[in-house]
Amino acid sequence: MGGIDEVIHQSLRLQIMASLVTLDPREKVDFVYLRELLKASDGNLGAHLEKLEAARYVKIEKTFVARKPRTFISATAKGRAAFEEHVAALKRILNMK
Amino acid sequence: MEISSQEAGESLAQAEDAAARTRKLLACRGTDALFVIWGVVWFLGFLGTEFAPRLLLALTRGGEVRGETVAWTVNGLWLALIALGGAVSVVVWKRRSPTKKGGGARFGWFWVLLYVYVNVWILLIWPFIKVEGAAESVRFWRHMSAICATVPMFAYVVMGLWLDHFIIWIGLAVTALTLLGLFLVPDWFWIWMAVVGGGTLAGTGLLVRNRWR
Repeated sequence: MGGIDEVIHQSLRLQIMASLVTLDPREKVDFVYLRELLKASDGNLGAHLEKLEAARYVKIEKTFVARKPRTFISATAKGRAAFEEHVAALKRILNMK
Repeated sequence: MEISSQEAGESLAQAEDAAARTRKLLACRGTDALFVIWGVVWFLGFLGTEFAPRLLLALTRGGEVRGETVAWTVNGLWLALIALGGAVSVVVWKRRSPTKKGGGARFGWFWVLLYVYVNVWILLIWPFIKVEGAAESVRFWRHMSAICATVPMFAYVVMGLWLDHFIIWIGLAVTALTLLGLFLVPDWFWIWMAVVGGGTLAGTGLLVRNRWR
């Protein structure tokens, strides 16, 4: 039984993971839309994504679409499992109140 | 790491809020352009329906134009516009989709299946429909057009229950406008639907452009 995940627990990183696990496992979200959705700056979002990528919770893919550079982000299987455990831990703490 | 139950509750609420906004983003992104596309389709289609008999008469230089010819011409126009509108919608949706291997395919299939079912229902009652005379025929096609126009509005109302209540109001408004036009100004129904129906859809697209960014 896992506890609170310190990597995920930070507010913006939690929201990033919550957004990504909503997607189908094969789907990847555009960095620009994620930034707009979470109302974050480029730098702030980028820094937190790097932390999640270092923990292997997300995968970041830089590619070209119609000759324009685009960055896509998806949650890894490890990231999905870690998020589910983190949410379960939060619910346990809440139920213990 | 130890946290309080209050902090746990706030974190869960934040996570659920982010998830809900993501689901809405996936469903609504690009919808503004779709409203404009189908508003234009309605505008051109209903205007074409209104003016087709006159255009055909002009082409035959005042000769006779059979009702079936007008019907086939109008049907052909609508089929072409719907096919074009559908193709443009797919292109726009894919370009504006926030995801790769987009999750919008289900919405596309929903619209296809909806129209398949509507055609099945019409086919089921078609053998029992008897229309006699030109005036009755025109009235019949106005009612059929109203059915075809209110079917997507029903879909908007249902989708709005999950996505954004704003869509419910659009669906109900265009349905009400369709019925008003059919029963209050039947002789101007096609022009009414072109301007009021098509205009409402296209105007909605421009209005929601920033709402669902």
